[in-house]
Amino acid sequence: MIPNATERVGRRSFLKLAGASGLTATAGCIGLGGSGGSNEIVFGQPAAQTGQWDFLQPGVSQATDVALQGINDAGGPLDSKLKIVRRDTAVNPQEARSVVTQLVENDDAVALLGLFSSEINPLFNFLQEQQTPIVTPWPGSNFLDTRGGDKGTPENIDDDGWVWRTVISDTVHTAGAAKRALEQNHDKIGIINGNSEGARSWADGFKTAYENGGGTVTKQVEVSQGGSSYQSALDRLFGSDFSAFAVSIPLEDAITLLSDWADGGYGKQPILSDPLSQNDLAKQVGNDLNGAWAASPGQSGPSYDTFQNAYKEADGDAEINAWTAPAWDAIQATALATERAGEASAEAIEKNLGAVTRGNGTEVSTFAEGKKALGNDKEIVYRGAATSMTFTDFGNVFGSVTINAAKNGKFTQQEVIPAKELREFVSEDEY
Amino acid sequence: MGLAQNIVFGLVTGSYIAIAAIGFTLIYGIVNMINFAYGEYLTIGAFVGVVTAGMLPLPLPIAVLIAMLAGGLASLILARVLFTPINNTGPVPMLLTSIGLGLVLRNAIRLTAGRSSRYFNTQTATFRFENLPDFSIGSVNLLGELFVTSQQLVVIGSAVIVFLTLHTLLTRTDIGIAMRAMSDDENLARIRGIDTQMIRDSVWILAGVLAGLAGVLIGIQTNVSAGTGFNHILQILAAAILGGAGSPYGAIAGSYIIGIVLALSVAFLPSGMTGISSAVAFLLLIIVLLIKPSGIAGQEVREA
Repeated sequence: MIPNATERVGRRSFLKLAGASGLTATAGCIGLGGSGGSNEIVFGQPAAQTGQWDFLQPGVSQATDVALQGINDAGGPLDSKLKIVRRDTAVNPQEARSVVTQLVENDDAVALLGLFSSEINPLFNFLQEQQTPIVTPWPGSNFLDTRGGDKGTPENIDDDGWVWRTVISDTVHTAGAAKRALEQNHDKIGIINGNSEGARSWADGFKTAYENGGGTVTKQVEVSQGGSSYQSALDRLFGSDFSAFAVSIPLEDAITLLSDWADGGYGKQPILSDPLSQNDLAKQVGNDLNGAWAASPGQSGPSYDTFQNAYKEADGDAEINAWTAPAWDAIQATALATERAGEASAEAIEKNLGAVTRGNGTEVSTFAEGKKALGNDKEIVYRGAATSMTFTDFGNVFGSVTINAAKNGKFTQQEVIPAKELREFVSEDEY
Repeated sequence: MGLAQNIVFGLVTGSYIAIAAIGFTLIYGIVNMINFAYGEYLTIGAFVGVVTAGMLPLPLPIAVLIAMLAGGLASLILARVLFTPINNTGPVPMLLTSIGLGLVLRNAIRLTAGRSSRYFNTQTATFRFENLPDFSIGSVNLLGELFVTSQQLVVIGSAVIVFLTLHTLLTRTDIGIAMRAMSDDENLARIRGIDTQMIRDSVWILAGVLAGLAGVLIGIQTNVSAGTGFNHILQILAAAILGGAGSPYGAIAGSYIIGIVLALSVAFLPSGMTGISSAVAFLLLIIVLLIKPSGIAGQEVREA
């Protein structure tokens, strides 16, 4: 169901027609449909340049920029120059709404390479109205498990969810966290989570997977984010019997909460939500955090080495985080979909995202390889850096999970849980 | 751990709310305005503290003093530039100006300092009292064991020093007595020869100094971000109103009630509702105002 789709498309079409006509009249050039009047294709990138999650953006921006350079060096999609317009949303839904409108209607972006679940979930109906594919490396929310993608019918966009994510869902990596907790014989666990969408989503996903695996959640405490102290909440949580406790709350609150935990000497095994495997947390909390671990989206795509080599050669020194390789995959897949479509329009890209990532064809790891194969009239399958990048009908990917543990002020990789070991936790018809 | 431990947590929260609420309520009592930008004075103090302690770096006590001075200076300058010229236009223009100023300050701080959090690099020691007698009423433990951290002791200790200093100021100094006189009746104070503009300026400085101190104490406990003051302004407002707007002693009482209610509500609310603990404090505020609209110590203290 796409509310007001006809009316919305009509208005956008009118604007584009007016814009194209104006440019034609004044400059005498005819642009590529949907991407402005020049020989240039625009992808928008709603970004977390400020806000609670801004510490993750540098790696994502660097991955996008190095991929962009490679795409343009290879001639660009449809022999046009690809341009990224990056705008800050601060991961605030209101700002995200303005940014999306700006990117789609003013910057003429034909695809968006961003948005967090905190933005997508409350804006979902609005985003459907835009009828612009969102290929994002960020959102883990299980809200999106069955809401995105093309529902397996690429030519029919009426049933499309328009959201594609190149990072595994909370459902998958919380399954990894639950599996490891159970393997460590933590059969009773406590959960403390913040009251934001993302924090709740992780906690719910973890709880479901953990209980399905046979564990018992003896106590769950939700706290108001932005608090000055979490001692009372910790005191309440630790009044229950468990051997490990899971923490899902944004980084700055987690530093306060886990500092309170360390100061209080509560002990027991901390299990952290995926955004918390940050050295800042380990450094601020100190050695009390040693042994705390987080299950994060793994970096196990067949093309990871290709990505890593390119990334290291790029300008900039941003750390690779769990969302960096998915950002590389997002722009590569979207550029390949554009190339395969033969047309730089939102609808054409939407119809081709599934086609360049599923089924059989020449396996490619970069846009350059894909453009060459498509030029030889071959079908292609993009194999990603973060995961294999085979989009499900719901626009999801499936991949491995990495366990990172804190030790002496930083997080280091401890083990990788292969994707196939997590499949039993995640039903295919619900993901 | 029991009820007493949660009361300790509440005392800590109440302490930094109280330090800030005293400044807030002094402005109300002397200048007769509710200053919604006051939360941003906390943020200014907190950022000045974290910059001087972390980037220069200076010893924390000196950073705290500089933060307090910065808060006082900012408060005085903003008052002189924005509030004094419209002092006679009534409370509504002053209120709206303060809301606008708060927005401008918050976004200016965001633009200058970014939205990321900053942290004080402090060492924490935890003091434990583990062999206390264990009394229980029903399922509620009263004592059991207690702990308090060095940072929490600093917060509580700072509050005690502020309270004693304030009491001395208000009861033993000419300027304090003049503040009380002006709070009761500004015209009469002026007729008796009190320099009311000087008293106003003093109150602005004092309120800013207290905000700066509260901002640093919150920052030491948690972190410093552009939203630090805004996150706390409702608690400060609630404490000041609960205590009786304009009454410093009432603000202290209101702050500790709010702090303890916040801590206990998290401890005893039904599971799944602890995330709305702040609402409980405001529910309490409404109940008290229904019973006693002037707040706990409003009129009585001001007439004393």
